[in-house]
Amino acid sequence: MSSTTPVVELENLKVRLGRREILHGITCRLGVSGTGKAVGLLGPNGAGKSTLILTLLGFLRPSAGRARILGFDCARSMGDARSRIGYMPENDAFIGDMTAVAFVRQMAELSGLPPEAALEKAHQVLFHVGLGEARYRELRTYSLGMKQMAKLAQAIVHGPELVVLDEPTNGLDPAARRRMLKLITEMKSEQGMNVLVCSHLLRDIEQVCDEAVIMKEGAIVHHCDLEEERRSNRSFVELEVTGDDGNLRAALPEIGAEGVSEGFGRWRIVLPPGVEVDAIWGLVGRQKLLVRKLTHRRDTLEEIFLKAMGHLAHTPGEASLEVGQL
Amino acid sequence: MAVYKRGYRRYTGPLTGRWTRFLVLPRYAWRRIYQQRLVLLLTMVAFVWPILCAGFIYLTNHVELLQGLDREFREFIQVDGRFFSIFMYVQAGFAVFLAALAGPGLIAPDLANNALPLYFSRPLTRWSYALARLLVLVGMLSVVTWIPGLILFWLQVGLAGGEWFQANWTLGAGMVAGFLVWLLILSLVAMASSAYVKWRVVAAAVSLAFFFILSGVAEMIDNVLRVRWGHIIDPAWAVNQVWRALLGVTPVEGPGAVASAWALAAMVLLLVVVIERKLRPVEVVS
Repeated sequence: MSSTTPVVELENLKVRLGRREILHGITCRLGVSGTGKAVGLLGPNGAGKSTLILTLLGFLRPSAGRARILGFDCARSMGDARSRIGYMPENDAFIGDMTAVAFVRQMAELSGLPPEAALEKAHQVLFHVGLGEARYRELRTYSLGMKQMAKLAQAIVHGPELVVLDEPTNGLDPAARRRMLKLITEMKSEQGMNVLVCSHLLRDIEQVCDEAVIMKEGAIVHHCDLEEERRSNRSFVELEVTGDDGNLRAALPEIGAEGVSEGFGRWRIVLPPGVEVDAIWGLVGRQKLLVRKLTHRRDTLEEIFLKAMGHLAHTPGEASLEVGQL
Repeated sequence: MAVYKRGYRRYTGPLTGRWTRFLVLPRYAWRRIYQQRLVLLLTMVAFVWPILCAGFIYLTNHVELLQGLDREFREFIQVDGRFFSIFMYVQAGFAVFLAALAGPGLIAPDLANNALPLYFSRPLTRWSYALARLLVLVGMLSVVTWIPGLILFWLQVGLAGGEWFQANWTLGAGMVAGFLVWLLILSLVAMASSAYVKWRVVAAAVSLAFFFILSGVAEMIDNVLRVRWGHIIDPAWAVNQVWRALLGVTPVEGPGAVASAWALAAMVLLLVVVIERKLRPVEVVS
């Protein structure tokens, strides 16, 4: 496998369930294997996210096109790929009358770990996800949050290169959700695992993912590099001042920024890369203006998502850029 | 260092052979099955008849102990095909009940708990999963069927000598083959009922009912249509006919061993199709 092998590669992928075509010829390349990055799969219910994941795992066969995961063809050579993948399904999936440690050990052995190593890793991973004290309890006695953690434990016990998480924060309380997101972040940053997260919770994706794909009606409608977005010049300031702001527009180029007045002391200012919000404070101070409100923000994933879904014509960042170019 | 202090690190060591990994499932399943007291008890009870048979073999090979007995009776108690067929009927009965007890716990919980996607997202195919589940039952039932049967056979060889072996080796081979056919049918029936019925008790009842209902239907066909071929759909009757052919015992009236073997093969095929349709990681509703 070369160092630039995409985690997921789709070529005109079409999937039919019965007579209905669910995925309509998707083509894209997501992530790079071995980089420890997370790709988020977003979309409303029925967008085809789970179908895509099931196809990538080899559970559904494409009706046309090709899907590759870690360079392996999903329809032909999944046997090789599956040792390198961990999967956490969306729904409850466990063996009720087994203890957590026996369950995770069995899953590790099925992934190819020798029995002793599997036992050791099962203990380690259960402590890691916070189930250390409950590891000898039968899984059917677990709460929903504990079952989610047990599912995560079985997905990572064998140290996979890629972990596929389907709605990992489903049904979790805020504390458990935070813990789950922290674990996912650690999987990337400390273990170097690639992660594919399928969720309809934008904040979760925004928090843990480096790349996001938005799906709608079986097609990809937006593909963005969140890391790039975070670094890019799409950062802008919403400013509200009192005083005579007639010279503010002319003064903005002093700090390399552009902006427009929206009337009544309200301004929308685009900050170029490298310019911090402090520069706005300084400029406004020099103009003897009183700041009533200053919001420094980027386009949120929610705004990007709403635009991709057709509910917004422009994200606020795009609107600022267009305004700045006037 | 204690496990909880070590922290989690990705496993990077050697992996086990890909083609033997499915054997993990039977190992765990046997451990769970023998934790059921009823299974353990029935398994122990199933050893009573082989022990009695061992005593019988000992007696028939010690003429001095039979001196006082009638000559006709002494000729009657021989270790031959008839002896092994009687041994097989009794043990086959125990096997039916053991399969009904242990079988439903194999696939039904995996389906009820949606565990199949977890298995199939690993290097385990549907066929290797099915084979692993089949091995659980065949392995467990072997303990009370052909293994004690083979021990009895070698006990007889040990007591009667090489000449008896040369003349009767087909009995040993026939018994093992006959039992394996029966275990295959029993296991597939138990797996199929386990795959379709989520409740263990009901699945056990279904797997027992399969044999009784087919036997009843076969009897009905024979009586209503005044024929003898109706029994071919009764797996117990068909396997009995095959056993008789393998052990050289006079067949019962009705379709022959070859026709019975074909009927059993068709049944196996049907059961495999039934199981194959159910063992899917995701169910697609057209």
